[in-house]
Amino acid sequence: MGQIELTSVTKSFGDVQVIPPLDLTIEDGEFAVFVGPSGCGKSTLLRLIAGLEDTTSGTVAIDGEDVTQVSPSKRGLSMVFQTYALYPHMTVRKNIAFPMRMAGLSDDEQKKRIAAAAESLNLTDYLDRKPGQLSGGQRQRVAIGRAIVRDPKAFLFDEPLSNLDAALRVGMRLEITEMHERMKTTMIYVTHDQVEAMTMADKIVVLQAGVIEQVGSPIELYEAPKNLFVAGFIGSPKMNFIEGEEAAKHSAKTIGIRPEHIDVVESGGQWKGTVGVAEHLGSDTFFHVHGTGLAETLTVRAVGNVALKHGDKIELNPRAAEVHRFDQAELRIA
Amino acid sequence: MSDRRLPRLLQTPAVILLLIWMLIPLGMTLYFSFIRYVLNSLRRPEWTSPSLSNWRGFGNYEFVLNNKDFFFAIQNSLLIVCSILFATVILGVAIAVLINKAFAGRGIVRVLLISPFFVMPAVNAVLWINMILDPVLGLQGIAVAGINEFIDGMRAAPVVGGFFSLWPELEPISFRATQTSAWAVIIMVTWQWTPFAVLIFMTSLQSEDQQQKEAAILDGAGAWSQFRFLILPHLGRPIAIVVMIQAIFHLSLYAEIEIVSRGNGNKNLPYLIGEFANNNIGAASATGIFAVILANIVAIFLLRMIGKTLME
Ligand SMILES: Nc1ncnc2c1ncn2[C@@H]1O[C@H](COP(=O)(O)OP(=O)(O)OP(=O)(O)O)[C@@H](O)[C@H]1O
Ligand SMILES: [Mg+2]
Repeated sequence: MGQIELTSVTKSFGDVQVIPPLDLTIEDGEFAVFVGPSGCGKSTLLRLIAGLEDTTSGTVAIDGEDVTQVSPSKRGLSMVFQTYALYPHMTVRKNIAFPMRMAGLSDDEQKKRIAAAAESLNLTDYLDRKPGQLSGGQRQRVAIGRAIVRDPKAFLFDEPLSNLDAALRVGMRLEITEMHERMKTTMIYVTHDQVEAMTMADKIVVLQAGVIEQVGSPIELYEAPKNLFVAGFIGSPKMNFIEGEEAAKHSAKTIGIRPEHIDVVESGGQWKGTVGVAEHLGSDTFFHVHGTGLAETLTVRAVGNVALKHGDKIELNPRAAEVHRFDQAELRIA
Repeated sequence: MSDRRLPRLLQTPAVILLLIWMLIPLGMTLYFSFIRYVLNSLRRPEWTSPSLSNWRGFGNYEFVLNNKDFFFAIQNSLLIVCSILFATVILGVAIAVLINKAFAGRGIVRVLLISPFFVMPAVNAVLWINMILDPVLGLQGIAVAGINEFIDGMRAAPVVGGFFSLWPELEPISFRATQTSAWAVIIMVTWQWTPFAVLIFMTSLQSEDQQQKEAAILDGAGAWSQFRFLILPHLGRPIAIVVMIQAIFHLSLYAEIEIVSRGNGNKNLPYLIGEFANNNIGAASATGIFAVILANIVAIFLLRMIGKTLME
């Protein structure tokens, strides 16, 4: 079990209110991802749930039980930190055993759980090393091992992969996703990374300045962003926004269209422009198009290799069905 | 290979200087310890200048070993050094942990805490022995007299009088006496050197990783476990540094011992060396060599002990 419910939670540091009243429910077994720009309060929200920060007002409940005043260790949650936060003087074995030792588990039980965790995280050969003798990826696995053995109601991850290089990040991402599939434990995951959010989440929570802009599955957020902020934040490269006459044609203040929903055509294109930068990735080609009179730059994604280069004329056709419309208040028009 | 020779060459002056710095005094001490050499002798004027013709072999060492104060001085040196180390490390850790938390007036408290360290040792000793520890005029004498007076007054009180009449009259302790003068030195040096320990430990605590602490809180570690498993191992190295530096300084305590009791009942090795050096340089040098050996034994022993208990 591990259903987490925040009810009108606020948090202020001194006079500054970082989290205005906020309601959020994360269901048991769900993989929830918090995304948002830097400083929007993702870590603060996670720490409120963990109990490392006190709420200024409002309640935090786990499995229906109010834990707002309960100490962090009694909430039954495990947290994995961005800097791993391993205990540098202890071996990997002792690091993983630490929460069990604090809980007073028997030696046999400790050994059994350490062996199981080490097995599933490929750490068996490193149990007698100190954290300083491990690579970044191994350290993060030890941190996860330490979180697993407590058998928590939920895991909290605060940008756990951001200190790893790109290749390792992909590997660890898969491992964590698999771990979730296997254990079915609630997980809350904070990240900056679009791809992590889209691939791992059951539910994405988009935050801006402490306010939840939208909650939904990755595909919901991609297909029907509630407002301009979410539309611009989810998806990579970013959605193109067009205002003025072209938007008025769709009876909207602003329209948005994703780069992958604009087709490059030989002739008879609705929009015409000049290629600024062409990025050839092999599988895709990204064009940054200038001089369309719609927006300063339009980003376009063409499948495969399209042999256009800097300075070439380009003709574009937006897919009408994929145009997102937004009103004066930046909200989506259904 | 020439790319290695240059750095070596550049290091040489420093190394040579260090060697001269250490080896010449040590060599001279060794030399003097094997010859008869006194400052003043009417009967044997040839002993008043150092010369190989006055060779005495291990005679000086024998003389020192047979001196009634020698083993007492070693024992006393160890007692003083170990007690001071023990007290300063424990007090230092406790105070550093306490003032590491943010509170109003922390800056002032820190400055006040550090200030004893800037008092000169001789002044420190004079202050303590005359103004604080003196059994009549010092704070101790005044406090003991005050308590006695209070108890005396309470004896006449109605209900609780019976209880107070059971109390004996308190005697102030004379810290210049043979049995207690070492403790006077230990108290005053501990007072002076605790700030040093606090300073080093405080600096080290500032570099503690906050996320480790939070991880430990989530792992269910209470205040004591956090101290035992995070803070203490983190302080292992600074404790070793404090112990080493203080051991070096306190093995050579002199001013405090001179001022408290002029060595009466409380000699350490340096004081004994000083006494010999009034005339007998040979014996003083031999004692000096013993002091070097003792310092090395203490250093090795301390390092081992700290290494084992704290670094896991
Ligand atoms: N202890 C604190 N005291 C005062 N302000 C704080 C404190 N902790 C965080 N803040 C402020 O709260 C806001 C949210 O911080 P938080 O760390 O939650 O952001 P974040 O979304 O995790 O950012 P990032 O993605 O960069 O990690 C920031 O404006 C920050 O300056
Ligand atoms: Mg953060």
